Amino acid sequence: MTAAPATLVPPGPRRPEIVVRGQRIPVVLPRRGDPRLKLSAVIMTLHVLGQTVLDFKVSIAQILVSIVAGALIEATVTYRRQHQLVWPASGILTGSGVAFILRASGTDHGDWWSLIGIGFFVVAVALSLAFKHLVRPGGRHLFNPSNVGLVWALLVIGPSQVFPQYLWWGPNAWGVAFAYAVILVGALWILRPLRMLPMAASFLVPFAVLIGVLAATGHRFVAIWHDGPIAGLSYWWTIAWSPELLVFVFFMISDPQTAPRSPLGRMAYGTLTALVAAGLTSFQPTEFGIKLAILSSLTVSCALVPLIERLTAAPARPARPVRPGQAQGWARALRRPSVAAAVIIALAAPLNTAVLAGNDQVMLIERGLTGEANAQ
Amino acid sequence: MALAASALVGGNAFGSREWLMGSVTPEARPAAVSRGGEGATALPSVPATETVLRSQPWWQEVTTLEGTGTGSTQPFEIGAEAIQWRVTATCETGDVAVAVAGQEETLVEGPCGKTDAGYGTDTGSTVVEVRADGPWRLQVEQQVDLPLVEPPTPAMQAPGTVTAATGEFYRLDQRETGRVTIYRLEDGSHAVRLDDFFVTPNVDLEIRLSPLEAPQSTAEFMSAPSVWVAPLDVTAGSMNFAVPPDVDPGQYRSVVIWCPLIDSAYAAASLTRAS
Repeated sequence: MTAAPATLVPPGPRRPEIVVRGQRIPVVLPRRGDPRLKLSAVIMTLHVLGQTVLDFKVSIAQILVSIVAGALIEATVTYRRQHQLVWPASGILTGSGVAFILRASGTDHGDWWSLIGIGFFVVAVALSLAFKHLVRPGGRHLFNPSNVGLVWALLVIGPSQVFPQYLWWGPNAWGVAFAYAVILVGALWILRPLRMLPMAASFLVPFAVLIGVLAATGHRFVAIWHDGPIAGLSYWWTIAWSPELLVFVFFMISDPQTAPRSPLGRMAYGTLTALVAAGLTSFQPTEFGIKLAILSSLTVSCALVPLIERLTAAPARPARPVRPGQAQGWARALRRPSVAAAVIIALAAPLNTAVLAGNDQVMLIERGLTGEANAQ
Repeated sequence: MALAASALVGGNAFGSREWLMGSVTPEARPAAVSRGGEGATALPSVPATETVLRSQPWWQEVTTLEGTGTGSTQPFEIGAEAIQWRVTATCETGDVAVAVAGQEETLVEGPCGKTDAGYGTDTGSTVVEVRADGPWRLQVEQQVDLPLVEPPTPAMQAPGTVTAATGEFYRLDQRETGRVTIYRLEDGSHAVRLDDFFVTPNVDLEIRLSPLEAPQSTAEFMSAPSVWVAPLDVTAGSMNFAVPPDVDPGQYRSVVIWCPLIDSAYAAASLTRAS
């Protein structure tokens, strides 16, 4: 008797895995088309420009530690949840994004391996990912991780220890022009497939108009890198068309995980972010305050994404009539820790940013009047 | 709860953020109103304004004491804001030794004319004991980093005094604020006054006059011969300086704050002639 031959099934592509103490752990590597890889490439290019021609006051060590911290935290959380080793693209992006904007007082450009304030970078990255994984009121993360982590870190650690990257990227005109080119090409490369370009325009147009109105009505601000207040056309150009702002618009607001899903919702979200950013900017007399106003605006609009989605979604069925006592639903929702946390974040970010407008320390730092102790 | 607490810290509620993370803003303290010593009585007193600005540390005269032989001095007050204080002894014959009363270690000890200044750090009411072979004189100074806010000198306010030129400081290599006024005094001499002035602190800064209208860099400033006016030992406040008699400010068109240690023009002010 001969055994029937076994049916030969062509083997499918084997998923990579590693074996640890006899246990097979699947490994998920990045896909070539993952937009996060494109984003990483653009941000890393800007990091390189910052280190070489744009005089960014951040060290290579600070950047690497931020990226590694983000990768380790993300990989650990994912492993504990899914029992597989997933390429921590999101954590790497968060670390890279934090290092792109956060600056630790005392770090000079060219201190390549400086670890000054390294704890602040790790805290900002950890906060970003903590908010991502813990504040999930609707089952998905509400806030852009690096945005909310930066806002919280800048506000809590404060202007004596940290500050955001300047709106002005230095005197090297060729370097800045190249950075603009990288940002714009990168925006087209990443945002067009994601259909996010209209959202970016819905932010940029109203924001530029509103900042123009502020400039025309005599608003001004002081910055450590400028002698005297910045007003008029300089105010408008420096804020509305800063490469830093374009990075915010093209590579932070446009995160598809936290933006609304519908095209109309995205337009509303972009415009709302612009309105909040301009509103918070309107009473900030310092660059530190303006940068936080811009960053906080995204924190606010991210918190309102569920509402935007509800208002802009096509009605699938008639709205249910409001029943007496339905308002109690809000109170019930607020008792859920993640909802309460989201509300605290969404309220505290703009309020604390607004309070910065009256902070004498920030004004003193931006005017360069603290002498050798200057934090920037 | 942790999030709510951090939100309060983020708003610096009750000064919590600055308490936890520190502040680069020095505590507001009254500015110094004179250089002390004779200067304290030469100018009318002005109320000490509170300020968070800090100057390059400078020496303010506390008192001058005189005596003969061995004995204790009258008590003098070293301010709580003093970083340190020093005593310089002069005498005519023999040796001199100075020590804080009750302390064995001497501040100054040696033959007349060959002693260095002695330094102390304790503040408050202080008495020193002097051992000398003859007459002695002690000059006591304290080092402070307070801005100096002097009123204009009486000569600047005299009827025959005229404002020769004014200017507003602008940045060259360092941060700055403030205005400069050059006076031609009744007796024909000149004086310079800085108002609401601040420049990044450093030692041995100088006020110089330049023939350039508006130097824009250290290199440009150095391209034309300038003239020394006065040392700028205090880098914040409102202060008066005498112009050396051999310097005619009318020959110059800008005031420059100059650091000879590193050959750096810190700030400059273009002078506008008074009509």
